[in-house]
Amino acid sequence: MRELIQATIAIVIACALLFVVADQMQSTGSKGSANTLTVFNWGEYIDPELIDKFEEETGIKVTYETFDSNEAMMTKVQQGGSAYDIAVPSEYTVESMKEDDLLIPLDLSKVPNLNNIDPYFLDLAFDPGNEYSIPYFWGTVGIVYNPNLIEEHLTFESWDDLWDASLKRKVFLVDGSREVMGMGLNSIGESLNAKDDILLRQATDKLIELSPNVKAIIGDEITPLMVNNEAAVALIWSGQAADMMWENEELNFAVPKEGSNLWFDNMVIPKTSKNIDGAHAFINFMLDSENAAQNADYVGYSTPNKAAMDLMDPEVIEDERFYPSEELRDHLEVYENLGLEWLGKFNEYFLEFKMSLR
Amino acid sequence: MKNLSATSKAYLVFVFVVLYAPILYLIFYSFNSGGTMNSFESFTLEHYKAVFEDSRLIVILLNTVIVALLSGLIATIIGTLGAIGIISVKNKKMRNTLLSLNNVLIVSPDVVIGASFLILFTMIGIKLGFASVLVSHVAFSVPIVVLMVLPKLLEMNTSLIDAARDLGATKRDVLVRVILPYISPGIFAGFFMAMTYSLDDFAVTFFVTGNGFSTLSVEIYSMARAGISLTVNAISGLVFFITVLVVVGYYFINSRSKSTGTEGHR
Repeated sequence: MRELIQATIAIVIACALLFVVADQMQSTGSKGSANTLTVFNWGEYIDPELIDKFEEETGIKVTYETFDSNEAMMTKVQQGGSAYDIAVPSEYTVESMKEDDLLIPLDLSKVPNLNNIDPYFLDLAFDPGNEYSIPYFWGTVGIVYNPNLIEEHLTFESWDDLWDASLKRKVFLVDGSREVMGMGLNSIGESLNAKDDILLRQATDKLIELSPNVKAIIGDEITPLMVNNEAAVALIWSGQAADMMWENEELNFAVPKEGSNLWFDNMVIPKTSKNIDGAHAFINFMLDSENAAQNADYVGYSTPNKAAMDLMDPEVIEDERFYPSEELRDHLEVYENLGLEWLGKFNEYFLEFKMSLR
Repeated sequence: MKNLSATSKAYLVFVFVVLYAPILYLIFYSFNSGGTMNSFESFTLEHYKAVFEDSRLIVILLNTVIVALLSGLIATIIGTLGAIGIISVKNKKMRNTLLSLNNVLIVSPDVVIGASFLILFTMIGIKLGFASVLVSHVAFSVPIVVLMVLPKLLEMNTSLIDAARDLGATKRDVLVRVILPYISPGIFAGFFMAMTYSLDDFAVTFFVTGNGFSTLSVEIYSMARAGISLTVNAISGLVFFITVLVVVGYYFINSRSKSTGTEGHR
């Protein structure tokens, strides 16, 4: 009995000590201000120094939380229970959050730094007039490849290179119906938002022709496979490709000229916000050219902030693989909200393609 | 070990290699200056330094440990009393029903438990955060503790209790001086099981974190999109080290209590 009591007391004391330490660490930096801001972002998607800098500049204490998928984030916002002031969904989620009435309209007069954003990235179909969202990072969908493992003539300037007979069992695809079906549609020269059964049929048939080349349809596991030279070619988002190329300099990335997807992650203020002024201040802070440049440098994704690009390493900015020229950008399309019916059809055709794999 | 044949020894070694190789591999690369897990360049402690410099990560680590210890403790208390309660039910059918209900909670998927907790908490208006995580961890640990304590209770000879009663022990005396000391190995085992369950739970925790409170498993999972750095290796190494310390501590408490135990009976 004695050791049971001793153990209990030891555990309680240990917890109390740890609690004090944790509390101490949490409150350093900003002392006793009731003004707090909860930011809900993707993991590893901000330079932690910027949070400290924001706290120092404004006296607002930031609570930073992370999520791993748009759907998970939306569920938590929907449930309430936690007062998120900022969230960073992708464009199609901005649309559905808007539809579900989960967002607070932005007061653009409180974000003067919006001028820093390249107008190309503003006023897009998923949020006309940027009423609810402001772009945070953006990217494309393209092909990452290892030149040492494939034949020389393949440059992936055209989607058709994926169909090359020399790539038998060498192609990896991300497991996303919109990405893969979008590629199919793009490769036959159509819009990746096409709501047309005939076009979808043609795209699926073309994809089925690709099936001998497909090694697997997977998710995040592509990164280590490509990095370790175990895979030759993969259809992937540019941000993930940038990560791979940073770890393995042999790799290259290309966005085929027929067109591809242009994706965004955007800052929004969810309905759960309790500090709307602070949220605007945070958005404005992140749009500051210097801060945005520092953040883009840390995260490694493409920034929509034109003023920040002037401050960044020209070698990065001039890399057309991640900052495509305007000419190339004209071929890129943002996903439109297809609606349930067409999304279902996309999924069905994607499933048909998956079943054709041997 | 002596009476094991060569094949069984080889098999034992194989099992331990399979169990420990991934962890050791991960810890090995946490000392890599190369920044990736491709090739080992040279020894460095910079990833550990990065962990200690990131106060948010440290707070999350501390939170994880606090939740594990506290939820383990509370679950052990509830679970032990629960096990004693179940064993004292004389009706066989009733007792089996209670046990099955207990087992259902162990086999039911974490996602279901997590989602139901999320719905419950938001419905009754509990703010997500430390309390909600603690409560749900206690909840899924209790059945495990019950299962760890029960065998000890079952192997206990009931005449011990009768004898204590005959000697004039009150109900409280029987519990504190006979039952609890007898089953304390089971109680400790239950506590450590509950703690490890709490440490590595992702699914339930994911649903009920909020308001700036997070645990390591949730945090590491959300890093997946932007790529996991070797900092994660370093922090996993730290957690492994803490766990080893706890287990060694448990071993010492155990062996000490055994030696004092025999002295006491002299």
